[in-house]
Amino acid sequence: MGRGSMRDVLVRIDLGAGRAAPWTVPDELKPYLGGMGYGTKILADEVPPRTDPLSPENKLILTVGPLTGTMAPMQPQSCIVTKSPLTNTILNSYTGGFLGAEIRFAGIDGLVLEGAASDWTLLLIEDGKVSFHSAEAVMGKSTAETESHMKERFGPGVRTLSIGRAGEKAVAMASIFSETRAFGRGGAGAVLGSKRVKGIAVRGSGAVEVAQPEEFSGLVRENMELLKAACAEEYNLVGMFSRVGTGAGMGLVNGRGALATRNHIFGSFDGGTGIDGYAYADKFYTRAIACYGCPVHCGMLHKFTRRDGSSSWLRGPEYETMFSLGSDLLNGDPVVLAEANQICEEYGMDTLTTGVTLAWALEMGESGALKEPGLDLKFADPEAILGLLRKVGEREGIGDLLARGPKRAAESAGVDAGRAMQIKNSGFAAWMPRRMKGTGLAFATSNRGACHKRAPIGAEITGQIDMDAYEGKAALVKEIQDRVNAIFTLVSCRFHEFVTPQEAYPRFVTAATGREISLQEFLRVGERIWNLERLFNLGAGLSRADDQLPERCFEPIRGEASEGAVMDRGEFGRMLDEYYQLRGWDEDGIPGRRKLEELGIPEYIALAKR
Amino acid sequence: MPLGFDIDPNLCTECLRCLAACSLVKLGRVQLPLARIRIQRQWPELPGIQVCRFDDCPDQPCIDSCPVEAISRSPQGFVLIDRDICTGCRACVEVCPYRAIWMEEDGNGPNFAYKCDYCGGSPACVPECVTGALVQKGGA
Repeated sequence: MGRGSMRDVLVRIDLGAGRAAPWTVPDELKPYLGGMGYGTKILADEVPPRTDPLSPENKLILTVGPLTGTMAPMQPQSCIVTKSPLTNTILNSYTGGFLGAEIRFAGIDGLVLEGAASDWTLLLIEDGKVSFHSAEAVMGKSTAETESHMKERFGPGVRTLSIGRAGEKAVAMASIFSETRAFGRGGAGAVLGSKRVKGIAVRGSGAVEVAQPEEFSGLVRENMELLKAACAEEYNLVGMFSRVGTGAGMGLVNGRGALATRNHIFGSFDGGTGIDGYAYADKFYTRAIACYGCPVHCGMLHKFTRRDGSSSWLRGPEYETMFSLGSDLLNGDPVVLAEANQICEEYGMDTLTTGVTLAWALEMGESGALKEPGLDLKFADPEAILGLLRKVGEREGIGDLLARGPKRAAESAGVDAGRAMQIKNSGFAAWMPRRMKGTGLAFATSNRGACHKRAPIGAEITGQIDMDAYEGKAALVKEIQDRVNAIFTLVSCRFHEFVTPQEAYPRFVTAATGREISLQEFLRVGERIWNLERLFNLGAGLSRADDQLPERCFEPIRGEASEGAVMDRGEFGRMLDEYYQLRGWDEDGIPGRRKLEELGIPEYIALAKR
Repeated sequence: MPLGFDIDPNLCTECLRCLAACSLVKLGRVQLPLARIRIQRQWPELPGIQVCRFDDCPDQPCIDSCPVEAISRSPQGFVLIDRDICTGCRACVEVCPYRAIWMEEDGNGPNFAYKCDYCGGSPACVPECVTGALVQKGGA
């Protein structure tokens, strides 16, 4: 048996002291496998739940997993776990691209960032060795400019992550970019900014080996055949992604009356066909771009002409952005949408929560509840959309209000929070709870707020199961949450599981690491992480009251395709009760002793005590 | 049939599976900096694909550049570097029009030039390329 893929070393970076040291992964961390599992346990062990997310006491843990950097397809991602300044919960956030593989090539399983630097810093990680560099030259610069600077300064071969002005200014939905991909959700960019880290460059020259090379190669071949077959199918979602990107499904969602439009008032958008994946592929030069080792290549690079006549390019927009900066803002112009996406990229902001916050602001603007000098706050208005985005990134004027996230913006302004489409202050992903009841429950109960990554979206939107039914959704949501948490220890792309049977994962883990693990135990790792997160969130002050949908979800959808579709308040409460019960939690959503003992984490109940 | 690759950078998604597969077959481990094929990202423009073109390289200047005759073309068309003869002078690296020869430099003792050897007729990189950006031409 060869050396396994995990290197069993994380690098701890004490930013206050300007020191870094390797940290051998202790035995009790190893059953968490890697990725999200490592990050969650380290944060739960070392950061008290009440910690101010933007204080030096918060930590930011960046990890990879057992399959990172190997030949296994669709495993390019790396995972950040930290306490979120947006939601005040524990956060896990992901980027694709090449950063994860490079971290593995650098001979480490990840980084733990602790404390805060006194001056703005760039970190260079070369084969596990850390050096500290001044970030003075790139302060105020965009994510792309910061990336270019690091490649010039540290060599073209480095892979990078960086924040833009939003992260510097602690915008609650600031994200961290890595070569046009992003740790998008939850405001990890503001946490990095609070630590005065503007960017990190990684270079690795090392090798990746697996414990059982022959078994592993066999699994890779098998999995590649499955993925290639999926890509060749006309109506396979992954196949559609491989041809025109994640925006391929917009027509389907629109047709089912589930495309959130005009701040979720309507369920379909007439302009949808003008901004979906096919529209971009049709109107603009398009080239498919893959993440490390991925045969699906869903990232679409487009060249386009900006409104001012200059030529430009964008890798995107992704589907979720077509909603958040498109249909939800009544914006049917693919160029305005691309420019809006570029602004989010330049400032380093989550297109989802930022767009959702804008949608609320535009509705409030039209009703007269919000005003901003120089901007006519109206849906579909390019100047309002692009202008507001820049103001959020600069925290200027009304942007300072919106930069707090949708719920806090509404509360601070003293206007209608029930129209702010958020859970735990995180903006909705592109899906409508009124139309997709299981997805609604998944949004409400997500540990990181309004998260689409652990929702039964595929099954509901394709009609595999009745999207409007309440029955059976609680069990389905729990099952998906646990399974996705488990695959995020590896760290798999979310789309990998669309095609790959869950039985493949423990086999991959064993062949990569030599660690024997059953499917049951693999899924239990996911459930254990879910419960750890829940305990952390309870300790942070969250409760059942935070597992609720905004008021608009209990009002009927308008528009032909899904006129009248609504979430029934009583039925939602019953789903939530059933969900808690299935989780082994009490009616307030507090994990029971029996469940925690079954998961082997009874001592963590102390986290939930305030 | 002349030996080489049909290469279409328009189809290359820059996933680097070819590099990973190459290093795995040559070294027994995934190690991209030692792969015998490289992809240069040049966004938004097409990637540069660095690999030996074999019979599609008209003059094969590496062969003549070698002062110790360590590089030769086999009857099947494989252009190979004999490590036992190579002195690590870098002459071939400098003349390769495709920038497809590299030096193994580990800082310990003599260095050697290395390049794609076509895996003896069935290049390991080719089946990994799902889009057909890299296709085998000739060989076994």
